[in-house]
Amino acid sequence: MFYDLHMHSCLSPCAENEMTPNNICNMALIKELDLIALTDHNSTKQLPAFVKAAEATGMKVLCGCEIQTIEEVHILGLFRRLEDTYPFQEWIDMHMPDIPNRTDFFGDQLICDENDQVIGTEDRLLLVSLDVSLEETVDKIHECGGAAVLAHVLDRENSVTNQLGFIPMGLPYDGLEVKTPEQKQRVLDTHPWIRENDTVWLIDSDAHRLIDISEREHEISDKDFSRLWGDRI
Amino acid sequence: MLISELIEKTGWKPVTKNVDLNTEITGVYCGDLLSWVMGNGEPGQAWITVQVHMNIIAVSKLREFSCILIADGANLPEEIAARAEEEEIAVIETGIPVFETAKKMIEAGV
Repeated sequence: MFYDLHMHSCLSPCAENEMTPNNICNMALIKELDLIALTDHNSTKQLPAFVKAAEATGMKVLCGCEIQTIEEVHILGLFRRLEDTYPFQEWIDMHMPDIPNRTDFFGDQLICDENDQVIGTEDRLLLVSLDVSLEETVDKIHECGGAAVLAHVLDRENSVTNQLGFIPMGLPYDGLEVKTPEQKQRVLDTHPWIRENDTVWLIDSDAHRLIDISEREHEISDKDFSRLWGDRI
Repeated sequence: MLISELIEKTGWKPVTKNVDLNTEITGVYCGDLLSWVMGNGEPGQAWITVQVHMNIIAVSKLREFSCILIADGANLPEEIAARAEEEEIAVIETGIPVFETAKKMIEAGV
């Protein structure tokens, strides 16, 4: 399956308002992807419309979310069922600081329906850290039936290696996201305790604009896809 | 200045037990971005941070810091304190902001 499992909708303030559920699904269709996930910052509230929009296209989708932990590390939770994200959203709400968004500075945080009509806004700023550790976040993602993927692990901003120096030993993540095959090799070279087959490696776009959604370039095997969740059905 | 002298002058309490406090503090380093601290800290420095992730123990060992000062009301989780004790790293919670912690250290003569 050709995939892109990291992208932001118009709910993320930093993403373009053109990133509506239908636009995302249709752009993924044009790019001939088989599997996509929507992963807004600290929110799952665009997912109901995303799932409905995807149904019309036949695209296989995952319900995702990009959490920012107290260490300012970004980590993806990938869920196979929309209903798994409901308790996850409740947990986010318990741990997110109540800081109002300033749309003139950060951008809009728009919630759409399945026809891309704006039906609401998130008024709390989503570009914040939850008051939970990376370890607690991995545990919660697992508890809700999700797969935990450390996002853009070698980035200079909000990556596990930038914030925490290196990928913690023993952290039970399910996947590592890099930008290029070379980055994967760098992770292996600098982390002797990580072996290539220990985990699932993903290359995603982290798209904030339609044009940046991945081309049909990165493939995941059915085996690796299942491995993301292990025994957690 | 020794860690024990700093503790005596400031009244701060170590959260780690049975760790040798007769280690010389040669200077101070402040930072929370561990990749940055790994690249710039120097041996013997006391490290002031609000970061309480397990990785601070490895970073402290790597840079050979004399001790870790946890500032601004952050609390060291028990399992990390236990690991610090295993690695014989003294960790002290100052309970005051980073800047105030640094000022107090200068007043103490570090």
